[in-house]
Amino acid sequence: MNTIEILHPGLFTTIQDIGRPTHQIEGFSESGAMDQLAYQIGNLLLNNPNDAAALEYTGIAPDLLFHTETFIAITGAKLSQPSLNQQPIQQNTVYAVHQGDQLNLGPITAGRFGYLTIAGGIQTPKVLDSRATTLKAQIGGLAGRTLRAHDQLPILPVQTLTSLEYRHLAWHALPATQPIRLLPGPQWSQFTKQAQTQFLNQTYTITNQTDRMGYHLTGKPIATPTTNLLSQGTAFGNIQITRNGDPVVLLADRQTTGGYPVIATIAAVDRHRFVQNAPQAKIHFQLLTVTQATALWRTQQQNLQALTQSFHAMKYQPPISPQRIAAQKITSMIQVTD
Amino acid sequence: MTDYHFFQLSESSLMLIYPNKIDVRENTFIQQLAQTLQHTTEISGITSVIPGYATLTINFDLLQIDQATLQTQLTKQMNLLETTVTATQRIIDIPVCYDEAFGPDLQAVADFGHLTIADLIHLHTQQTYFIFMLGFLPGFAYMGSVPDQIAMPRLATPRKALAAGSVGIAGKQTGFYPVVSPGGWRLLGRTPLKLYDPQNPRPRYHAGDYIHFYSIDRHDFDEIYQADRADAFKLQIHQRIGDHS
Repeated sequence: MNTIEILHPGLFTTIQDIGRPTHQIEGFSESGAMDQLAYQIGNLLLNNPNDAAALEYTGIAPDLLFHTETFIAITGAKLSQPSLNQQPIQQNTVYAVHQGDQLNLGPITAGRFGYLTIAGGIQTPKVLDSRATTLKAQIGGLAGRTLRAHDQLPILPVQTLTSLEYRHLAWHALPATQPIRLLPGPQWSQFTKQAQTQFLNQTYTITNQTDRMGYHLTGKPIATPTTNLLSQGTAFGNIQITRNGDPVVLLADRQTTGGYPVIATIAAVDRHRFVQNAPQAKIHFQLLTVTQATALWRTQQQNLQALTQSFHAMKYQPPISPQRIAAQKITSMIQVTD
Repeated sequence: MTDYHFFQLSESSLMLIYPNKIDVRENTFIQQLAQTLQHTTEISGITSVIPGYATLTINFDLLQIDQATLQTQLTKQMNLLETTVTATQRIIDIPVCYDEAFGPDLQAVADFGHLTIADLIHLHTQQTYFIFMLGFLPGFAYMGSVPDQIAMPRLATPRKALAAGSVGIAGKQTGFYPVVSPGGWRLLGRTPLKLYDPQNPRPRYHAGDYIHFYSIDRHDFDEIYQADRADAFKLQIHQRIGDHS
């Protein structure tokens, strides 16, 4: 059996993938990686299928011992000093690991959620079509729970693809000071003009009530509609205004249905930027039209596809330098969209 | 069923919105449309659907279909479906032990309706309840509607932990808690059935089904509890043809 052993689980490490959207009809949370962009980049660096399961960590990242050889990449939240066998390693870069290698990821210093992707993906059994861990339902990942010391994660045997090694993506998100872009929500027009203006003009603070289900924000409370809303289906990034007038942003492990009015939804192109905010971070919003947001999202997805295709095209070419240059060129396309 | 509009919930999800009311006929149509779309090969690019009380959220892959095309094709499907909706109903019998140890609000709800506890139990078990949707917790069914006489509002302060299987009332809604959870519903009793099992997570009932509660005593509760956990209890499911009312 090819396995990776957890030496130290970190603070909150789970197995995640693209989630189980088709089971929302049965009441199961979608789940999956919080930062789908960082997770996707990790997988495409490794030529993985786009739903290959990865480790997601927050706060303090795990330490692992490899009982087999494979390739890995770390993406997402910034780590203070990740190392492979005591040698510092970089993010967004592919490394070859061998039997007996030890990976120490350590604490996160910026951002919120990071990913360790592994060639071929983690091979824990699928539950309801996904390997994503949903704690509330106790399904997915390993027994539906966060990882613990001594857990063994099954992985696939890999062929040595020298062209993968040191593949690197110089990718940076927009600075945190830029506004988080929004679409109007289904109940937007039920809020008063004054509430809408106040919502768009004020600076919100992310509270300590933040988890994979959602982030609670606080600001000057806004007036909520008085109509009693029947529960409706939710989407990633929906911003509900609760009875006390503060927003809650619904994220990966959100309930499938909700009864609070949804004033707006975070534009898909900015989801990854929003989820990487830690408690106490200041947030302000900017409203887009559906057309603008759709164009931005389409461009981001098309650039990712182009990057994937170019990586696949380079799969069997001689290693390192030519493709690193190519990868960096393509990288600039992703940044344009951001 | 023509009183609807579409709202674009996100770049890649569309919400079909009916007037904000609880209506079994309308919800049945939404459920059947949801099932059709979940399995359709007619429309490419639909990735998932979530029915609400009076809404249907349709998620799609922007790289396969755009919003305008999807909306046109959905309207076509809806017109087709309206003429073919059938009315076979599935009724699932759920045993409930209405004992004050399990239903701490029995007396309060009986007082609310000016009833004896026996009459309250009779009223709660004499009809079937329609499942409008699943959500909130794994296996949690939103069901209605109880008679106005016993439609007591939620507790002002929710209890911190309700036992799995707790059966209660919240206004016109009735339902059960599949897993331990905080909750503000008025508790009438408890079902011995295992309503959620992470080893076998698919729910035993679905949106569009009807639930019928029947009263059991403590002895039966214990027996069914043991039997169900040994997979030796057979859930009673009936079919009936009829008009949704």
